Amino acid sequence: MARKLITGNEAVALGALAAGVKVVSGYPGTPSTGALASLLADKPDGVYVEWSTNEKVAFEIATGASWAGQRALCTMKMSGLNVAADSLLAVAYSGCEGALVVYVADDPGVSAGCVEQDSRQYAEMANLPVLEPATVAEAYELTQAAFELSEAVKTPVFVRLVTALANSYAPVEVMDVFPVPEREARLIRDIDRFTKAGALICMNQHRDVIARLEKAGKWARERRLNSLSLARSSGGLGVIASGIAGAYLEEAIELLEPLGLKREHISIAQIAMTNPPPLEEARILLGWCNDLLVLEELEALIEKEIYIEALRSKFGGRIFGKLGGASSPGQNTRIFDRIGEYGLYQVASGLAKALGIELPEEFLHGERSAEGLAAARPITTCAGCPHRGTYMAINAAIKKHKLKPDQVMVTGDIGCTILGMNPPFNTVWTEVSMGASLSLAQGYVRAGVQTPVIATIGDSTFFHGGLPGLINAIQHQANLTLVIMDNLWTAMTGMQVNPGTPVAFQDQSSQVVDIARLIPALGVEQFYIVDPYDLPATTTALSEAMGLPGVKVVLARRECAIQSVRRGKVDETLRVIDEKCNLCKLCILLTGCSALDILDGRLVVDEAQCVACGVCVEACARGALELEAA
Amino acid sequence: MNFNLYLVGVGGQGILTIGELLSSAAFHKEIPVNFFPSRGMAQRGGHVRAQLRLGRGRMGPNIAERSADLVIAMELSEAIKAVRYIRPGGDFLLYEETWLPTAALLGKAPYPQAGKVREAVRAAGARLVSILPEDLPQTDLHRLAPNLFLLGAAVRGSGLGQLFSSEDLQMAIRERWPKGAEGNLRAFQAGWEAPLHLPTALSAGASV
Repeated sequence: MARKLITGNEAVALGALAAGVKVVSGYPGTPSTGALASLLADKPDGVYVEWSTNEKVAFEIATGASWAGQRALCTMKMSGLNVAADSLLAVAYSGCEGALVVYVADDPGVSAGCVEQDSRQYAEMANLPVLEPATVAEAYELTQAAFELSEAVKTPVFVRLVTALANSYAPVEVMDVFPVPEREARLIRDIDRFTKAGALICMNQHRDVIARLEKAGKWARERRLNSLSLARSSGGLGVIASGIAGAYLEEAIELLEPLGLKREHISIAQIAMTNPPPLEEARILLGWCNDLLVLEELEALIEKEIYIEALRSKFGGRIFGKLGGASSPGQNTRIFDRIGEYGLYQVASGLAKALGIELPEEFLHGERSAEGLAAARPITTCAGCPHRGTYMAINAAIKKHKLKPDQVMVTGDIGCTILGMNPPFNTVWTEVSMGASLSLAQGYVRAGVQTPVIATIGDSTFFHGGLPGLINAIQHQANLTLVIMDNLWTAMTGMQVNPGTPVAFQDQSSQVVDIARLIPALGVEQFYIVDPYDLPATTTALSEAMGLPGVKVVLARRECAIQSVRRGKVDETLRVIDEKCNLCKLCILLTGCSALDILDGRLVVDEAQCVACGVCVEACARGALELEAA
Repeated sequence: MNFNLYLVGVGGQGILTIGELLSSAAFHKEIPVNFFPSRGMAQRGGHVRAQLRLGRGRMGPNIAERSADLVIAMELSEAIKAVRYIRPGGDFLLYEETWLPTAALLGKAPYPQAGKVREAVRAAGARLVSILPEDLPQTDLHRLAPNLFLLGAAVRGSGLGQLFSSEDLQMAIRERWPKGAEGNLRAFQAGWEAPLHLPTALSAGASV
């Protein structure tokens, strides 16, 4: 074994390698990206790893591999699970052959601007087991357990992490050398399992999936995946801690001991398998303790089950968590929120409330009175971002049509392209889900909006979920202008390859799917390809497209500046002509570019940031900015 | 010994590097460590924070409010967001660089005054050391890397000094930059030697 400092994401990846994974597929999404990214970088022997077009595709690939007897891992963020859900449910009911593990990362507290969903609810719906580590080291162990469980019970298994764990670094003992998967693929024809042909098959599968989940619970109990430590004498408080909440428990107990907490009166169940719910542990605690405290981030899934158990066992005590209320005997037992992430404060104050310990007012409460003074820092595009030119061109084209910004709907999509919603552009109006920009725009058209309707989408998002919407628009000839902002990378998640990324940066056996060839092949007649650094041309193309009927597509194509600069492609520099600059700041106002600054009463260019895109040169009305050969 | 370090700044300042170097030093010394960098969606110039927890065998990644033994803030306005995390009596290392968001640069949005930020830190009961960018020693070629300078000052002057020696961090720096560690070592050393021994500087209550 070797001690390594790794992230929760890497722990999942290495756990999968330790378990002999053969096929790994996924789609990037914060905070899950690091797992598959680390495998792609490491290129483990005999393991196939790919970024797939979307999570549904990724999950189906992993399923195919599993049905051929191999061990497979599929990775995604919570929103990705929504995309994969159709197949997830179907495969859950079918079961698997080789191990099939789905790694999903949720984002309680929302660090990345997304739906704050609890993906365990899919597990509940699909009757799938969920393993939830509390620490990075547990992520490594439990991922291996997930593979074992999946193959033992023949069910897909979730490994679920949250942002704080997925992105944390901690030391973990891992294998020195990982096994090379050696299993041969085999073909299994079993229509009872692998099709949904007929009511009998489907209802049998329903019966089977329920039985498998039960079996998974039994497997976990035999393995003692959940730990239970009872107070020596009955009574006291029983604590059920799931996932990351459990990592704060010991610290919270230490913190409260000086305030009157008696460790010997506390029984603790640490829950690593959160679905099926830990009913066995709950029964024991309900029989042993006076009161119960349920520590569970986001939705009250375990807690609900505990209420049912409490009813069955005629439990007379109080259950502290999210579901109680002021009407509970004694006091308010609804002490937690379903929103946000859990930390030491939630765990310690929960314990204190359940134990009737008075906390000082300032307990884990810092000084916040000055926070209103902090400058707002809206996220914006990087210096040199090609999208900047596209937003400015859209705004200019709207103006050219003698329309005001609030008269033209510009739907947005997931990824860097959504940054156009923020100042100084304020171009984009909506953000729903991958590909929704296109279909949402058609809804506005069908609603009777008379002004031009524009949809904006990035390249990877277009491949992921935009195509069906575009095909629909073409078939029904919706009057809209689609702007595909193609920077050749899946950029916001940290530069992953997608179908349009040049082969030089992909696996050498891959082939590029060129949007420039795809669009005409779909039958789009009004198709423009522009360089978003060329503001006049981009504006002209957009303006023309907006005036035409039917589906128009503008492909604004230019590689992400972060990527091109990394390879040293800047061959010009931006110069301020001081005699012409009157410090009107129009360049900053229009571009919002962080490479432009005012220093000692002069407009200056931050050479470290500027990529000489020239968009600000166009913005200046006095010719005070110019590009020159470096 | 348990230690909580809360780091804030903006993307591009190298704030995460401070946490990475300390994590690496802790890892080599087998001090239990959890390092949680969080950049959200920040590109260059966006809010970045990181949390480094040392000493506990089993610990959650997030530092509770009023629980950081040390805050290192590298941007004046962002520092305000860290005030709630400092414990009374904790050390607050404030590098007073300003990265104005566009709206502030255009004069359309307010940006906090340094005095107000210092006041907020002191109101939280922290021991403040503030460092101005121009305080950094100049070399012949260019200004020393502020993040490495702050790391040197922090290890020397705060409770981190009980966990790490100068050599521990020098090793981490060499490991991180196998080629070209020299500039970073110089910056670290300059911070180490800076007259900022936090307690003393702070009892004087003055900016250095």
